[in-house]
Amino acid sequence: MEDKKPLSPHIQIYRWHISSLVSISHRITGIINIIAITFICVWSGWLILGEANYTLINFFLNSIFGKFVVLGVVWSFSFQVLSEIRHLIMDMGYGFELQTTRITGLLVIFGSFLLTVAIYLIGRNFF
Amino acid sequence: MAQISLPKNSEVNKGKYFKDKTGSKNIRKVNVYRWDPSTEENPRIDTYEVDMDNCPSKVLDILNKIKNEIDPTLAYRRSCAHGVCGSCAMNMGGKNGLACTKPHAEIDGDIDIYPLPHLRVKRDLIGDLDGLYKQYQSIEPWLKNNSSKDTTEIFQSKEDRAKLDGAYECIMCACCSTSCPSYWWNGDKYLGPAVLLQAYRWIVDSRDDERKARLKKVADELKLYRCHTILNCTSACPKGLNPAKAIAEIKKMLATANV
Repeated sequence: MEDKKPLSPHIQIYRWHISSLVSISHRITGIINIIAITFICVWSGWLILGEANYTLINFFLNSIFGKFVVLGVVWSFSFQVLSEIRHLIMDMGYGFELQTTRITGLLVIFGSFLLTVAIYLIGRNFF
Repeated sequence: MAQISLPKNSEVNKGKYFKDKTGSKNIRKVNVYRWDPSTEENPRIDTYEVDMDNCPSKVLDILNKIKNEIDPTLAYRRSCAHGVCGSCAMNMGGKNGLACTKPHAEIDGDIDIYPLPHLRVKRDLIGDLDGLYKQYQSIEPWLKNNSSKDTTEIFQSKEDRAKLDGAYECIMCACCSTSCPSYWWNGDKYLGPAVLLQAYRWIVDSRDDERKARLKKVADELKLYRCHTILNCTSACPKGLNPAKAIAEIKKMLATANV
């Protein structure tokens, strides 16, 4: 009898809020960052093994796809850092009012893109 | 691992279409989740054209209108119609709330009405809340006082009483728990916002002597810490309470107190 009862729709129908969007993005960027850090470690390990590896990595990172990956990782880091600050404040028991969570959520989203641009410009010696 | 998609027997099909018979010019389409336990069929979405010129302001009024004037087979829970009993909790326009306090003017476009998310459906808009009630029972929601004199009052200062504000008003409608993705995926172990708000209500009650035991009981990776501050609960609560903050306070107590 129990199995006959259908399960009511959940994620298929529930509207996204800023807070839920930031929360799931926090998880996704966290996973991306772990993979990225692992790759960065492997790459730096390769560098020790000689110049040929350096040129190979250099070639990859200067390709359009490579640049896309680097910018993506920079955004993912920016998002994670800002979102983690938001989480730390929440762990202290502040910022749970609906309006506040919306504002801090938007700050994290827009801030992550601003930070990405800023880091890109710093890397280009823009300042 | 979380199962994102619905099981085969729960996939929703297109249902019947009830055309307006009043000839009204002010029509809204209302899509309602239907499931009849007496058939072997999957759930379906029935669409009703409702005359809004002769319909009061809340979503529950639409449902009553459908049941009284269009399709008497529709089943849903309702009782007080004033946001006090919590019976008519459901998902409207993609958000949980009480049908009796939710104005349909706040929903854009067609009005989608589903039962509370991720519950076993008993019929149409009626979800099975047995699991939630068992979890509520597990936190022992009653006063535990060890004082030997049963006949005298237990005094509480105004300050201590104020600590219960925002927790005691909960009507256990389950809007928050069934809005929580963590509760969807781990509802068998994670207590969920509604029950944790009540756990908090008894933990902070100055008249209760079992504070430490209560804290110890919820201090569990799955029971409590599955809250990832998604905050769907707080935005869904029809009484304007803040279960997410209560859960954060419990976590804070556990982090700072020697339990």
